[in-house]
Amino acid sequence: MSLDAIPIHVINPASETSGLTGNAPPLLRELSEGVKRLLASGQTSAIDLSALPLTPADLGWLQDKLGAGEISVTLQANGESTLNETACPGIWWVTHRNEQGAVISQFIEVAFVPELVKAHPEEVQTGWEYLESLISGL
Amino acid sequence: MQDSLIDTLARQGITRRTFLKYCATLASMMALPPVAGRAMAEAMAATRRPSVIWLPFQECTGCTESITRSHSPTLEGMIFDMISLDYQETLMAAAGHQAEEARHAAMKDNAGKYLLVVDGSIPLELDGAYSCIGGRSNVDILKEAAKGAAAIIAMGSCASYGGIPKANPNPTGAVSVSDIIKDKPIVNIPGCPPIPVVMTGVLAHYLTFGSLPELDEKGRPKAFFGETIHDRCYRRPFYDQGKFAKTFDDEGARQGWCLFELGCKGPVTYNACATVKWNGGTSWPVESGHGCLGCSEPDFWDAGGFYKALSVPADPLKIGAAAALVGAGAGVAVSFANRAKKGAAKSAHETTTLADLEK
Repeated sequence: MSLDAIPIHVINPASETSGLTGNAPPLLRELSEGVKRLLASGQTSAIDLSALPLTPADLGWLQDKLGAGEISVTLQANGESTLNETACPGIWWVTHRNEQGAVISQFIEVAFVPELVKAHPEEVQTGWEYLESLISGL
Repeated sequence: MQDSLIDTLARQGITRRTFLKYCATLASMMALPPVAGRAMAEAMAATRRPSVIWLPFQECTGCTESITRSHSPTLEGMIFDMISLDYQETLMAAAGHQAEEARHAAMKDNAGKYLLVVDGSIPLELDGAYSCIGGRSNVDILKEAAKGAAAIIAMGSCASYGGIPKANPNPTGAVSVSDIIKDKPIVNIPGCPPIPVVMTGVLAHYLTFGSLPELDEKGRPKAFFGETIHDRCYRRPFYDQGKFAKTFDDEGARQGWCLFELGCKGPVTYNACATVKWNGGTSWPVESGHGCLGCSEPDFWDAGGFYKALSVPADPLKIGAAAALVGAGAGVAVSFANRAKKGAAKSAHETTTLADLEK
C-alpha cells in the first residue's frame, strides 16, 4: 500500500519563509556591536536566546547566517553542551542540553574563549595534586 | 564547620563546569542577564546549607509532587539536597511524636535562621478544627513555626491565596499564609501546582544573596511572575493577527491558533509556563492545545468559567508596537525580553557584579 492511500494531508507544508518572525536579523547588529566591544576592550557579552521570542525557523535562519567555524567544543556535564565557533571568529553558539538531550538553554557568546571552556584554578589544583600523587607513586 | 556547597557537590562528582552550566541555565530562567550565571555560581559555591522546615496544611500534596518529580536526577534535585530539610511529613522517615520532635529540635537549633516552606491553606472556622496535625490546629502550628523563621515561602496557590479550599463557599474558612503572618518576609510561589524551578530559583537567590528575590504586589518573585502567559506565549502572533480557534477541533485549533476565545486566561495570568514549560521542558497547557486556567492567580477557581472568554481583550500589539518604536537596529534583545522593566538592560552591556543583581 502506498502512503497516498492513507487519508492524511499535511496542513503546514514547510516552505522557505514559513515561521520566520523577523526577530532574528536585528540580533546580527547586536552581535556586531558585541564584537566591536570585544576588540576594543576585551569585554565579553552574550545573548540569551531562550529569553527571546524566536521560532525554530528564526533560530535556523540565524544559525545558517552565522555558519560554522573551525572549533567545536563538546562538554559532557549533566548532559551534553556544545560550544561551536561560528564563521565569525569570536562568536560562539552555545547550546546546553540535559541528560535526556533536550535543549535547556541557548546562548550566543561573544568572547575570545567561552568562560565554560577555561579550567577553574581550584580544579587545576585538584588535578595537579592527583598528578603529584602519580609521580610520588612511581 | 559545614562544607561549602561546591565541596559537597564535588564529592558527588559534580564539576565546576557542570555547576556553571546549571547556573547559566537558572539565570536564564530567572531572566537575569546572561553573564549573571557566573556571578551566581561563584557566590553560591561558597554558601552553607540552610535549615528548611516544610509544613503541609490543607493541601493535596501536588506541590510536593511537583518539586520532587521535577525531572529525574538533576542538579535541581541535588540543590534540594543542599538544604537541610529538617521536617517534611511526606518525605521524612520519622512519624508521629518523633516527627514532631524533629520539628521542634530544628526550630530550636536554627531559631531565627531557618526557612519555612508552607503548602496548603489554613482553615480558621471552628477554631481551625478542620485540619489538625498531632492534635494541634494548622493555624497554631503555623504561628509557632513562623516565629523563628528567617523567611516564609508559600508554595502553591493554596498557601499563597487560599486556593481551592478557599473556593466559594469556603466551608472551612480557608485563608493564605499572608492572611495570618504579618511580621515576616513571605514569598508566594503560586500555581496549581507551582513550577519546580521557581522554588529552586528562590532558593538559589537566597543562597546567593542571603535575601529574598524582588517581589511583585502579590508577593511573587518578579523574575518568574513578571510577565503574563500571553506576553510570552508562542501563539501570541496569532492573537495579534486575529486568528483564533473557535472550538477545540476546528481548523484554527489544528493550525495552532490563539485559544483566547476558548477561555484562555493567559492575558491576565502571571506565570512562567510559556518559557519554562513542564515535565522537563516537554510541553505546557497551551502547547498541548488547551487554554491557560490561570491557576497562579488569586481565586482562579471562582473566576467565572474556564471556557468563557475574557471580556476585555488584552492590549493587542503592545509588544510589536514597542519593538517598532525602538527600531530594528536597537536589538530585539532589549525590547522583547522585557529586561528594561527589570532594570537589567542597562547592565547587560557591562560586567555584572553581585551588587548589580541585588535589589
